[in-house]
Amino acid sequence: MDQASLLKPALYRVEGSAAVPGRPALFGGECACGYVFFPLQPYGCERCGGLEFKDKALSGAGTLLASARVYLHAGKGREAPFTVGAIALDDGPIVRTLIEEDSGDPRPGDRMATTLVEVTDTEGASRLDLRFTPETGA
Amino acid sequence: MSVRLNQLRPVYVVGVGFHRYQFLSDTTYVELGLTAVRAALADAGLAWPVVESAYVAKALLPMAPGRPMLRHLGATGLPIVHVENASASGSAAFRHACIEVAAGVSDISLVVGVDKPMPVGRAEALARIGGLADDAIAPFTHFALLADAYASRTGATLEDIALVAVKNHRNGSKNPFAQHQKERSLEEILNGKKIAGAFTSLQCTPIGEGAAALIVASEEGLRRQGLGLDRAVRVAASAGRSQRVYEDATRYDAMLTQETAAVALAEAGVSPGALDVVELHDAFTVEEVEYVEAMGLCPEGEAVPRLKEGEFDIGGRCAISPSGGLISMGHPIGPTGVGQIGEITRQLRGEAGDRQQPGARLGLAHMVGVGAVCYVHVLQTV
Repeated sequence: MDQASLLKPALYRVEGSAAVPGRPALFGGECACGYVFFPLQPYGCERCGGLEFKDKALSGAGTLLASARVYLHAGKGREAPFTVGAIALDDGPIVRTLIEEDSGDPRPGDRMATTLVEVTDTEGASRLDLRFTPETGA
Repeated sequence: MSVRLNQLRPVYVVGVGFHRYQFLSDTTYVELGLTAVRAALADAGLAWPVVESAYVAKALLPMAPGRPMLRHLGATGLPIVHVENASASGSAAFRHACIEVAAGVSDISLVVGVDKPMPVGRAEALARIGGLADDAIAPFTHFALLADAYASRTGATLEDIALVAVKNHRNGSKNPFAQHQKERSLEEILNGKKIAGAFTSLQCTPIGEGAAALIVASEEGLRRQGLGLDRAVRVAASAGRSQRVYEDATRYDAMLTQETAAVALAEAGVSPGALDVVELHDAFTVEEVEYVEAMGLCPEGEAVPRLKEGEFDIGGRCAISPSGGLISMGHPIGPTGVGQIGEITRQLRGEAGDRQQPGARLGLAHMVGVGAVCYVHVLQTV
């Protein structure tokens, strides 16, 4: 498992953060004003408009705010059904992404953590993509 | 120093016209739009040449649909501007037409919203700020997540939230311009095609086409045409805002609604409890319960019990989405915000037929659009 095997290497990494070493970390940013955001972007801070921000590895751990099973999906390269969730990361930002398929039925308030799962990219190559799963799981 | 709309000269809605909202058909956008504009002119009792400017709201049609449509009324040479503001395109067009008339630049202006379903991209996707799984989260999934959060926060069940669709389909069944004109039982709604989370297809706005038009005017302009304020409805407030940074970033629609409604109600000098009729952005059932709370029509977490008691029915304390709302009347995008003002105008004139909220004197129209932007207008009888 290395960074080159990831589907979206600009957004997350194999290695964890200092606080949560065992779970893939997300690449966020922290502005001089204190605002912590995800994903990292070069344009300016949404809270203060400033440009003085630095990279911040966000821990791959958080709390589930909501989830929804999706039955209808029009886009290519993804088959319904699948489950998405909103997760409040321990480091602040709220992310919305896919819940790992073998996660049971996590409920709002449950602790969640990142994991990497094997997916196929648009060229048919095998890659690893980020999912959330209950903290006690895989 | 800046001024509020209602510190300028009064602006009135004096004409309303629609082309029915419907599923995609062979009808050209030109025919959709002209049908609505001609109906609005006839309703106002005004001839096309006296209209001094036109605001054309559209979000899906390609560049510059306005003059190729309006020239068939007679090419008078009036200024035409197009307004694109996602779902709020029509609301934004209405606001700016009102500002123009209030400022005295024009006396009589047209607002027309027209659209047809077609593939459209979002500029945000061009910012190259990728998300973890943006493609997996369609609008219905965004709101399905909010429905799950609302249910867990308030103890409401997902069946409770579906009652919004029962009410709005019932209202839409009485609206000849609605895309869906059929009453639906809770069971029918819950057993429909599953979309995402708790949502079935009848809890989601349909994709469709249509047109809506309004004539806005000053009293001076009306008098010059030999008309009075008999059927005129006053625009008491106009507010537009965009999303800020909120503590719960996922609830931006409700937070933005709360801020924008508060600005509009303060400008009109009325409390939410005084509203008789409201049209809001109920593209998905959960939005209605979220927004009635955000606007202050009931306390947090009280929307479902109030809905069950019939408070938001036609004939209840405040009729919410008597047109059928986006769920039943439809959401052709460009026309939607224009059509909301049309419905409120008919309600305040006492001309809403089977959908009439008895004694309606004060109304509010609310739209959100992706981005996110939000508009709230307050209208009142003269």
